[in-house]
Amino acid sequence: MAALQEKKSCSQRMEEFQRYCWNPDTGQMLGRTLSRWVWISLYYVAFYVVMTAIFALCIYTLMCTIDPYTPDYQDQLKSPGVTLRPDVYGDKGLDISYNVSDNRTWVDLVHTLHTFLAGYSPESQQDSINCTSNEYFFQEKFMAPNHTKFSCKFTADMLQNCSGLVDPNFGFAEGRPCFVIKMNRIVKFLPSNSTAPRVDCAFLDQQKDAQPLQVEYFPPNGTFSLHYFPYYGSKAQPHYSNPLVAVKLLNVPRNTEVLIVCKILADHVTFDNPHDPYEGKVEFKLKIQQ
Amino acid sequence: MVKKTLEIYSVELSGTKDIDQTDKGDGKEKYRGLKNCFEPKKNHQKEELKKELDLDDHKLSIKELEKKYGTNIITGLSSTQAAELLAQNGPNALTPPKETPEIIKFLKQMVGGFSILLWIGAILCWIAYGIQYSMNKSSSLDNAYLGCVLALVVILTGIFAYYQEAKSTNIMATFNKMIPQQALVIRDSEKKTIPAEQLVVGDIVEIKGGDRIPADIRLLSVQGCKVDNSSLTGESEPQARSSEFTHDNALETKNIGFYSTTCLEGTATGMVINTGDRTIIGQIASLASGVGNEKTPIAIEIEHFVHIVGGVAISIGILFFIIAVSLKYHVLDSIIFLIGIIVANVPEGLLATVTVTLSLTAKRMAKKNCLVKNLEAVETLGSTSVICSDKTGTLTQNRMTVAHLWFDNQIFIADTSEDHSNQVFDQSSGTWASLSKIITLCNRAEFRPGQESVPIMKRVVVGDASETALLKFSEVILGDVMEIRKRNHKVAEIPFNSTNKFQLSIHKTDDPNDKRFLLVMKGAPERILEKCSTIMVNGQEQPLDKSTAEAFHTAYMELGGLGERVLGFCHLYLPADEFPESYSFDVDTMNFPTSNLCFVGLLSMIDPPRSTVPDAVTKCRSAGIKVIMVTGDHPITAKAIAKSVGIISANSETVEDIAKRLHIAVEQVNKRDAKAVVVTGTELKDMSPEQLDELLTNYSEIVFARTSPQQKLIIVEGCQRQNAVVAVTGDGVNDSPALKKADIGIAMGIAGSDAAKNAADMVLLDDNFASIVTGVEEGRLIFDNLKKTIAYTLTKNIAELCPFLIYIIVGLPLPIGTITILFIDLGTDIIPSIALAYEKAESDIMNRKPRHKKKDRLVNQQLAIYSYLHIGLMQAVGAFVVYFTVYAQEGFKPSILADLRVEWENGNVNDLEDSYGQQWTWYQRKYLEWTGYTAFFVGIMVQQIADVLIRKTRRNSIFQQGLFRNKVIWLGIASQIIIALILSYGLGSVTALNFTMLRPQYWFVAVPYAILIWVYDEVRKLFIRLYPGSWWDKNMYY
Repeated sequence: MAALQEKKSCSQRMEEFQRYCWNPDTGQMLGRTLSRWVWISLYYVAFYVVMTAIFALCIYTLMCTIDPYTPDYQDQLKSPGVTLRPDVYGDKGLDISYNVSDNRTWVDLVHTLHTFLAGYSPESQQDSINCTSNEYFFQEKFMAPNHTKFSCKFTADMLQNCSGLVDPNFGFAEGRPCFVIKMNRIVKFLPSNSTAPRVDCAFLDQQKDAQPLQVEYFPPNGTFSLHYFPYYGSKAQPHYSNPLVAVKLLNVPRNTEVLIVCKILADHVTFDNPHDPYEGKVEFKLKIQQ
Repeated sequence: MVKKTLEIYSVELSGTKDIDQTDKGDGKEKYRGLKNCFEPKKNHQKEELKKELDLDDHKLSIKELEKKYGTNIITGLSSTQAAELLAQNGPNALTPPKETPEIIKFLKQMVGGFSILLWIGAILCWIAYGIQYSMNKSSSLDNAYLGCVLALVVILTGIFAYYQEAKSTNIMATFNKMIPQQALVIRDSEKKTIPAEQLVVGDIVEIKGGDRIPADIRLLSVQGCKVDNSSLTGESEPQARSSEFTHDNALETKNIGFYSTTCLEGTATGMVINTGDRTIIGQIASLASGVGNEKTPIAIEIEHFVHIVGGVAISIGILFFIIAVSLKYHVLDSIIFLIGIIVANVPEGLLATVTVTLSLTAKRMAKKNCLVKNLEAVETLGSTSVICSDKTGTLTQNRMTVAHLWFDNQIFIADTSEDHSNQVFDQSSGTWASLSKIITLCNRAEFRPGQESVPIMKRVVVGDASETALLKFSEVILGDVMEIRKRNHKVAEIPFNSTNKFQLSIHKTDDPNDKRFLLVMKGAPERILEKCSTIMVNGQEQPLDKSTAEAFHTAYMELGGLGERVLGFCHLYLPADEFPESYSFDVDTMNFPTSNLCFVGLLSMIDPPRSTVPDAVTKCRSAGIKVIMVTGDHPITAKAIAKSVGIISANSETVEDIAKRLHIAVEQVNKRDAKAVVVTGTELKDMSPEQLDELLTNYSEIVFARTSPQQKLIIVEGCQRQNAVVAVTGDGVNDSPALKKADIGIAMGIAGSDAAKNAADMVLLDDNFASIVTGVEEGRLIFDNLKKTIAYTLTKNIAELCPFLIYIIVGLPLPIGTITILFIDLGTDIIPSIALAYEKAESDIMNRKPRHKKKDRLVNQQLAIYSYLHIGLMQAVGAFVVYFTVYAQEGFKPSILADLRVEWENGNVNDLEDSYGQQWTWYQRKYLEWTGYTAFFVGIMVQQIADVLIRKTRRNSIFQQGLFRNKVIWLGIASQIIIALILSYGLGSVTALNFTMLRPQYWFVAVPYAILIWVYDEVRKLFIRLYPGSWWDKNMYY
């Protein structure tokens, strides 16, 4: 294979490359004449236009088959996730620490809560209705204006001491901080059979001899009233706001990091998925310094 | 004793002069041949050889020799002397070619073309992981895993390839196990049989007919000894040996016997003058290692492929790096993207697939008697454009066989097929009865006893080639020859003799009423005719007149012109009154008549072509492969065989033929008119390389005759200068440099020497030329099928890469993960891509020209573009549809997915809203993402089924090819589906694998795309078939 072993010099290679880029003998650029380039480009343009059209058609058909109000499957949403406000994340999950005496360390936390609860001001809830029943609020028909369904009001003042209205510092300044627990929305999800779902917070590693966590729940009992369920999706209930439960931790030991878990106790809410730490419960680290 | 027995068979009629010339020339020529091939080699080798050739032992007298080697020709060496010398010089054996250490062989498997690509990929992965880790301690391990998997693939494939090679080496090793050679040596005044390995310089050895000469020996006394030097000089005629110094050149003188040559007959005593590697053969064998191994065409193709894939990978990578940076991605992130894109382009499974495919073909070839030593050589044979073939044993059966008879003024054709099954010539004539008697009786050859159950043609015979032929011929026709001989008791005999040029014996006849003795004689036709005064026609004796003599000459010329050895037969019934039963015949005084005999007939013999060879040569011709015959034999014989097997086709002529036909001088013939040419070694020796090039280009049918094995190297190099891929067959030690130099060296399994087998890339187990052609067919098929395999494998690369690109640019949740991609590349796709190796040829691949080394690439632009930009893109689109379907039905409509990447991947966002306002935790999203992976995976898998089906053919419709002819494809498809089902439903719960149980309907979402792919490809093929050579054909045919 003597011929293949001939090493071409660099200048030869360059020359060959130049010739490839522009061959004056045949008028070829990059191996094709101009008209050939036009042809091949046209072919590819046509090919891709057709492919795009087919793709668009597929997606269009797909969209046509999809119910705008209810997702076809909720394979992953068997049980709602739970989130916490204020939400400051460390390396591993929620990690909140502040110094009672240094208000710079907690002003951001308070600010987060204020911003979050801004969505629950009476003004932003004005499109929702007042609900009082303790039953599920089933709506088969679209009775609300603009072919929607009614949403129940949840205003910040329902959180009483943790509403930020009574104590704008949410108890952070006194070392008894408020946290807001929110359950994720799932379309047509019914949390329990008859009793309202309830939030229950405790130390994660409760020692027998240690004092249990004392919590004050708002609204009282820490329940999500059943009339906020079921959720009919953002198209049917554009004004829906998640119900909230605020927890005021009363006896958090100082200068030590504690692990706190808040679970939702309801018949259809599970909190024992080993893979998902936010399903049906929320865990967070808390360290209050003094 | 019998001297020069075989010279009697000389076929030369007009060309005695010619023979003399070549004979004279031979010495110089061979010497030159040797020198030519040594010259470019390392200097010290040349020096050593010179010294060896200057060897003057043949010139010394016996006394001087005894002095030089401290030995005595009567008593030999003493045992202690011998032991000392043995310790000093080492055993008398060729050092086997330096074995590459196993570990080096193993490592070599790990770093060839493809493997390099995978290694680079693995290292890039680790680099990417390093970067990620330094940025974020809890970063995903995907890249580290991928790196490990890539490394593992290389190592496992390497082990497999190594194992394959080791296996074929083992088969080789069984050949090498020959019975240790023994030598009869005189030591301590005693004759002893010792292993030939223990011979030392100065030993006195005795050799006899049938022995291999155990070392280079100076002959001291000789009784009718003839040797076959063909493995050294290429001279196929037996060479007489004597104890006299006849030539200055050691290679030419008659008093030297060379190591590894065979003593055909007679006996001789000689003194060992060189042992082991210091023998002439030993030195030539060591030369082979000096000729570098060439890169195989498939290695070059794979390198080219790696360049293409690498080019594509790096350019896409850099393009998207720039895009990523301009999209305000972090530079380190962009680098990880860059690496990810490059690695995504690496076809992880292809190395394993190609290796398995090649070894499957190698296995298939081994069944057809081509044992491939180096997997890559499988394809080399397919791209072969020139085959330089030996004649004896490869093209021919390697045994003399009666081909024609002439009696009753008629030429009869004898059956020369391998089993002599039907001899159809007229056997009713009385002349035949007489002739058959002479053939039977005037013959010294005998079957070895105890072979009654063996077919006649396969029995072992003691005797020379011609007599063997005659014996077998008569045994087939007449039955038990030994019995006939017994009934016709032999009373006297004169064996062959170069001066008489005849053989004669006198027998009592088996007719109890006839008391006459029968004198039978055979020999050189013209000598026999001289002794005759009558001729037998139709069983009747007639006076030999001019016209019958004329007829004899015509027949003799005709048979001689066919390259056959012609023998004349005559007999005489001795008158009972002059030679009574008690008459004592004396062969020395010749007290019986040897003239005025009755001429009976002529018989001619040839080493006939193997019956499969003409077909094979025709196949080669239609396959555009030039078959060049290179033989040490005589030009006329060579040409005759070339003609009969079709190397010189029936209607083409040499310059000499034209001259003869037109009755003009050879010089006047226009050389362009001749297609064929017969070149002798002498002519070749005088040619400049340019002249040789011209010869090789101008003539399509070339026969090299009277060449030495060294000249083979020159011929091979000449062909390679024409850019041809050259296959060379060889058996002798001397062939090994040519075997090494050739693109594919083919050694003979039966006749081949170990050195030749070592130097070769392939071993023909049955020595049959036709096997080479089946090998070529397999080689071409594998090239086509590798194309299909690579096209199949490359296609899904785009479908795997696109998601990543879209992920970077549009910010969708990642559609398919690294581990999932690995499960496609190394899981579902492996068996289908191997199954393509079982695909039958689309059209007669033996009707195509051999592929052009530089133009017909394994992976060409069209293949890459069609796979990447057409089918690959369709696959990507199809898989994306499945992906979007899954996401949309779970709540994420395509519109919301765009630019969702950052939030989606953020573990701290646990209330991400979907299109319905539902809120998702990170793990819920992750699980959906894995469902997306599985969906995308299934989408690709389904479309790969269509892909493997369309890849069955490149030009023909699938229906022309037969959808179910290749059952393995369906096995592959079944494996694809089963693996996917297991991954999704069986391992769907193992989170580390990122598979989930996919709803059954999603398996069918991509089916319309699979059908679209198939239809598109059918249309492509249809247009290619309808408009060959058109724009479409040029751009779409790969």
